[in-house]
Amino acid sequence: MASRFRTDVWIDWCPGCGDFGIVAAMHKAFAELNLEPERLAVVSGIGCSGKTPHFINANGVHTLHGRGIAFATGIKLANPELTVVVNGGDGDLLGIGMAHFVALGRRNLDIAVILHNNQVYGLTKGQASPTLKKGDKPKSLPVPNAQDPVNPIAIAVSAGFTFVARGYSSWVDHLKELIKAAINHRGAALVEVLQPCVTYNDLYTVDYYKDKLYKLEEEPGWDPVVRSPEETEEKMSRAIAKSREWGERIPVGVFYVNPYVEPYEDRIAKRNPTFSSVPPARQIIARNGGEPLLGREEFRKLFSDYIIKVKK
Amino acid sequence: MEEALILIGGSQGSGIETSSLILSSALVRAGYGVLSNREYYSNIVGRHSYIHLRASGKEIPRSLSYPVDLVAALDAESVFFHFDDVREGGYLVYDQDASRTKLRLIASMEPESRARIEARLKEIGAGEELSSLISALSGLGVKAVGLSFSSQLNWLSEKMGIARAEAQRFRSSIVVGAAAGLMGLSLDALEYAIERRFGKRPAVVKANKILISAVAEEVKGAVGTPLSLDSPTMSNEELMLVSGNDSVAMGKIVGGLRYQSYYPITPATDESVLHETFEALKVEGESLGSIVVLQTEDEIAAVNSAIGAALAGARASTSTSGPGFSLMVEGLGWAGMNETPVVITYYQRGGPSTGLPTRGGQTDLLFALFASHGEFPRVVISSGDHMEAFYDAVWAFNVAEKYQLPVIHLLDKFLANMITSMPLPDWSKIKIERGSTIFEAKGIWKRFDKSSVISPRPVLGSGAVTWYTGDEHNELGHITEDPINRLEMYEKRYKKLQLMDAEIAEEERALYYSRGDEDFLLVGWGSTKGPALDALAQLRKEGLRGAFLQLKVFQPFPSRLVSKVLSQYSPERIIAVEASVSSQAAKVIAMNTGHVIRKHALKWTGRPIYTMELVQAVKKLLAGSEREVMSYGK
Repeated sequence: MASRFRTDVWIDWCPGCGDFGIVAAMHKAFAELNLEPERLAVVSGIGCSGKTPHFINANGVHTLHGRGIAFATGIKLANPELTVVVNGGDGDLLGIGMAHFVALGRRNLDIAVILHNNQVYGLTKGQASPTLKKGDKPKSLPVPNAQDPVNPIAIAVSAGFTFVARGYSSWVDHLKELIKAAINHRGAALVEVLQPCVTYNDLYTVDYYKDKLYKLEEEPGWDPVVRSPEETEEKMSRAIAKSREWGERIPVGVFYVNPYVEPYEDRIAKRNPTFSSVPPARQIIARNGGEPLLGREEFRKLFSDYIIKVKK
Repeated sequence: MEEALILIGGSQGSGIETSSLILSSALVRAGYGVLSNREYYSNIVGRHSYIHLRASGKEIPRSLSYPVDLVAALDAESVFFHFDDVREGGYLVYDQDASRTKLRLIASMEPESRARIEARLKEIGAGEELSSLISALSGLGVKAVGLSFSSQLNWLSEKMGIARAEAQRFRSSIVVGAAAGLMGLSLDALEYAIERRFGKRPAVVKANKILISAVAEEVKGAVGTPLSLDSPTMSNEELMLVSGNDSVAMGKIVGGLRYQSYYPITPATDESVLHETFEALKVEGESLGSIVVLQTEDEIAAVNSAIGAALAGARASTSTSGPGFSLMVEGLGWAGMNETPVVITYYQRGGPSTGLPTRGGQTDLLFALFASHGEFPRVVISSGDHMEAFYDAVWAFNVAEKYQLPVIHLLDKFLANMITSMPLPDWSKIKIERGSTIFEAKGIWKRFDKSSVISPRPVLGSGAVTWYTGDEHNELGHITEDPINRLEMYEKRYKKLQLMDAEIAEEERALYYSRGDEDFLLVGWGSTKGPALDALAQLRKEGLRGAFLQLKVFQPFPSRLVSKVLSQYSPERIIAVEASVSSQAAKVIAMNTGHVIRKHALKWTGRPIYTMELVQAVKKLLAGSEREVMSYGK
């Protein structure tokens, strides 16, 4: 089934790279959701994760460093019928592209973002990314990292993402379920994926994560879902508090789900129902081989406030 | 009079824009053509601003000039700034209540301007108090018409039964009344204009009508109607009153715009605001479509989301000015690399950096042409006036989609903010051409099929599966660094320039205005068109016969036509007219044709080129000068 979404392109990530697990989880998730490759757009930024679309048999848009969300925003708004999934690295989405990351939350546009978090800039040989802790010194750094890290889960929750989860690249089936849930969620969704960088990051390795990770859904009493709008504050606070847990125990799973925030598409459709009846990109703009849909008379009516009848 | 030039001055936020709109509407209603420019500081309230307006019953004005027939000043600062702008025999309307105001106490005036005005006051023997300047005006041949604005407003408050403080809101209507009185404008036309502006607020309509007609009558009684215009001879039955921003916005809508993104910036954003206002395209209750207008987090998202929308098949664009375009450059390169039709409307303002944010210029031509690393074809088009800008906005989408590339529509603040009375566009000149854009397709698609220069383009969602990447790619859109693929794919993209050059008539890319009897040539582009043509008309009256070559499309450049025209003139008789210090269009001509233009009429104060200063500059250049720098305007 998942093979439906594979391409013939040779995957040139380092052997053992966490990205393999992420792509495998996407292949499976897309297949299990019965998505059509023609109706799916996988958008990415730059870096190792940027190459992802070439390894998926679906429309692929490999864009600029940090700008995957910006491109995806235009695609989704022009044709809301498409399923849009963004892949980006920690540097891509939280460094150079942070403005777009936050803006997506504010809009709650129906886009799923998969954040490949390996704490380094891999393709440029392992510089510190925005998620690397202060004082950490993976083997690729000549001196310890002097900047504090950002917390992707906390930022996403605060920015307004309405589905926020974390997976692990080696737990492919678990990750697959998170990706499916993120795509099924209507609104801005984040799946942060912890992944080792086998070449440059010798701190956060498979061994490091092995005994620390635990699944939130196995925690008694953990319920990330906002069950009524009044619960929003409490669930947000709990998600953020939980996201700060990083030590002997590191949680993966769903941190926060809020189905009560209107997606951006609905905000537009409320003002202008035509937006939801025919996607803007597919609306007729001309007839009879090139006459503008807006003819002279329609123009005159639309812009009547600008027209002055001369009276001599 | 055949035409009138009027300047209305007041502090930013004091209502002069509304005044000018009422005056313009009334003039158009009465059969006159108008062109008005707004000059303002980067400031919300308090700094000096003014409207400079030309009205004519013979034709729609295409440029502005000095001196003016009338300065109508809402405050003392406006009198100090503009008394010198009035022609001999012209009028200056001012507020008598401000007579005691001293120049050095006007805090909103910049020290550089104050020093210059002080020197001029000394020259004409005036003191620093407004009353002293008013007394000295007769020596300049300027007739001062003093009104007590507070008395007028107190009278209005009694007449309308409103509080005095509330009556203050109508202050700017006093200058409308004064101008209307001096011009002898019909009350009918004024009432029409007032209703048009304030239609839904009957109390405001009434107060304006009462005040404007009372002031008009008072001024008429005192000095008559010395500025009355000859009966109009124009035959238009209807005219639109639009800014350049409006005209481009409307052109885009007619052209099928479905996605517009923007980050707020002067002087581009009014265009997007119009799109927001008309997003539902509602005609008589029926929506003809929907335009998504997205205010983005920055210009980077603006351009890249527009590219995304274009990939999905929407006619997509973004509007900005220099600082915003600086941020868009990386996206521009991606669009070039991925053969994506996106339109960037670029209103030039005074740079570099923040520069003169609310003033104009033509200093970004080379930037628009060359921005981005790597080589790829783009189209850069400019428009000489509002009407051209409308058609060009439609054309930009056609070219972008036919040739699958980014198009930069290069305009400027002069056009953006000038308001003109424009005839309704001619629908027979408008055609939507989408090239080989495909909305229904199937299966894995070679998006960058090398068998033709333009590969058929199924949009995302068409049913095809396509890949895009900013990396060099193969026909499928997958990354490849293979040298032979690089050779072919890079050239496939670049060949679009040749293709466009062959398919788009040079006569559409450069316009030659000639009667065949000229012995000198002005070369210009964009907003220099109006002043250049008017300067030439003026010079012809003085026996100097010149032609005008308007460059419209800078890439693909109309090299043969431009070469041919330039070859007809002696190099000593060719003058580039540009609002820049480096005469950028002349450089582009040299690059493309080898013709080096030696004479330049230039202006970079951020204010428009005025007809009279261009006439003077051309005369000096024809007499031997090589470079004339124009600087008129406050």
